[in-house]
Amino acid sequence: MSDAHLVLEALEKRFGAGPPAVAALSLAVQKGELLGLLGPSGCGKTTTLRMIGGLAEATAGRILVAGHDVTTLPPHKRDMGIVFQNYALFPHMDVAGNVAFGLEMRKQSRAEIAAKVERALAMVHLDGLGHRRPRELSGGQQQRVALARALVIEPSILLLDEPLSNLDAKLREEMRTEIRDIQKRLGITTIFVTHDQVEALAMCDRIAVMRAGSLEQLGTPFDIYESPATPFVADFVGRINRLDGARDGDGDILAGPLRLRAAKPGPAGRVTVMMRPHRLHIATDAIGPEWNSAAGTIRRATYVGDVLACEVDCAGAMLTVERHTHPGQPIPREGEAVNLAWRVSDTLAFDA
Amino acid sequence: MPIASRLALALLLPALLVNLAVFLVPMGNLALLSFQQASAGGALLGGFTFATWAKMFGDVFYAELVLDSVTIALSITALTLLCAYPIALFIYRTPERWKNLLIVACVSPLLVSAVVRTYGWMVILGDGGLVASILRGLGMVKPPRMVFNTTGVVIGLVEILMPYMILALIAGFGRLNASLEEAAASLGARPFTVFRRIVVPLTLPGIMLGCLLAFVLAVSSFITPKLLGGGRVFLLATEIYDQAIVTLNWPVAAALSLVVLVIFGIALLLYGRLSRAIA
Ligand SMILES: Nc1ncnc2c1ncn2[C@@H]1O[C@H](COP(=O)(O)OP(=O)(O)O)[C@@H](O)[C@H]1O
Ligand SMILES: [Mg+2]
Repeated sequence: MSDAHLVLEALEKRFGAGPPAVAALSLAVQKGELLGLLGPSGCGKTTTLRMIGGLAEATAGRILVAGHDVTTLPPHKRDMGIVFQNYALFPHMDVAGNVAFGLEMRKQSRAEIAAKVERALAMVHLDGLGHRRPRELSGGQQQRVALARALVIEPSILLLDEPLSNLDAKLREEMRTEIRDIQKRLGITTIFVTHDQVEALAMCDRIAVMRAGSLEQLGTPFDIYESPATPFVADFVGRINRLDGARDGDGDILAGPLRLRAAKPGPAGRVTVMMRPHRLHIATDAIGPEWNSAAGTIRRATYVGDVLACEVDCAGAMLTVERHTHPGQPIPREGEAVNLAWRVSDTLAFDA
Repeated sequence: MPIASRLALALLLPALLVNLAVFLVPMGNLALLSFQQASAGGALLGGFTFATWAKMFGDVFYAELVLDSVTIALSITALTLLCAYPIALFIYRTPERWKNLLIVACVSPLLVSAVVRTYGWMVILGDGGLVASILRGLGMVKPPRMVFNTTGVVIGLVEILMPYMILALIAGFGRLNASLEEAAASLGARPFTVFRRIVVPLTLPGIMLGCLLAFVLAVSSFITPKLLGGGRVFLLATEIYDQAIVTLNWPVAAALSLVVLVIFGIALLLYGRLSRAIA
């Protein structure tokens, strides 16, 4: 781990009595990596980010940057660029003043500052808006100023706290690629906090899924989505069907009326079985041995344009199937009897 | 005229009339009074004369009176700001739960009359009082006089004006926000730089409001300078009182009152200008 750029060692934060907001969090972030901190609201993402940035004091554990312990360093000595959820632009300064602030703190020359501010504003496509006040900008523009202000100081680490959550859906997608492009181009080690799994999957090199202050799983978006370590992760990073059942001595899983096989073997006992809705198919052909299957009746069909979702009642077990729509393909009727099939490799089983 | 603005006018009318009756008319009377002749005994003789104003512009005593009053009021304002600012900042940053309690604690001196508090200061600052005793205990042979001079007036008024200043400051701190200070720190600003570049500019509206209020109250305060000044500190408000009640020279009292009004006008004008400049 010595080559990691940012290392968190058993980081902990307690606010008074009660369970800690962040507990025994250990992470290693490589140089130039974009690591996502993903989790539901209140799971300790912001608190973790604030500890890294020096805005909150860790109650235990260490933070290392390039091998140096910065755990007790005040924020102004940490050299980290932070983009706050509410942007925190200085209202009494214009856009250029906001971006120049960090450079002024570094005692750079006037000419140097002017040139860098101009370049930073160009980078976030705000050329010519340097003399506007923050309140005269749209949300998306404010967000770009915040990003430019954090990046212009060429920080060793960039910390983003839900930077896109205040933008509307279309702008959010645009900024997603823009931030990712800039981050890659500058090769800056970045921590990206979000509660939006799509955002995390789309942008991050690796994702740390947090739950109630602890690390639940660390992995690439592919790992997190395809091989979730826990039912919590599986549930959080995308829609999923969930059945409770038991595994017998042969490795078969009995979930209500269904007899299933799972991707990975495990000991006998209680298990939770999970399948992503779009990996389930309404079967027409005969199925092979690599497939699980179930017979059921359609209870509800929801058409949302690009996707058709059917809730199928398989003798008491409710399963949701999703497929892309095609013109000419009929929309199933409620009450229709169907056979469902899905690959054994798409069947996740978690020991309870 | 649209109905809405006609309704607004109708609703404003009572207040306008009251203001006219109890403010503008007396002010007009005051202005007229300053041009009347008066006998040495104080009787108003009517007529119209510039004598009072000529005397005021001719006598260096009045120029000094105005200058002293404004200087002392400005010093008091500055000192009040210095004492109140940290308290206001602390209260503003206190969690909501404790905030109201602290504000009530700060304002509670207002429940005691300024007269009583001034007498309290006379006891505390007097030659045998708490402060002098402490200074003597610390080895000072002859502690400085702190009552019946400008020092006493300043100390007393600063304390009396602090609640107003604190309230005005807190009311004007709305733009201050912890994440702005954190953002500045993350960009490399040391704590004092954060204070200078972020906290002070963002609290400027509160500072200006508080200073305007304190200045106006300081110029017009009368009881505290009268008692703590012991008749040796000459300020506009005390002089107006003396002229009106003791010397019975009403035209001079009226003219001085108008001078005070002009000073307030200038203060308000400055306040408006500065407010617009920082907006
Ligand atoms: N200043 C604070 N004082 C007390 N509790 C706090 C404070 N900040 C955060 N918490 C608590 O810590 C937990 C994690 O909060 P946070 O890190 O903001 O979560 P997230 O950013 O993941 O939504 C929450 O339960 C929150 O109530
Ligand atoms: Mg948060």
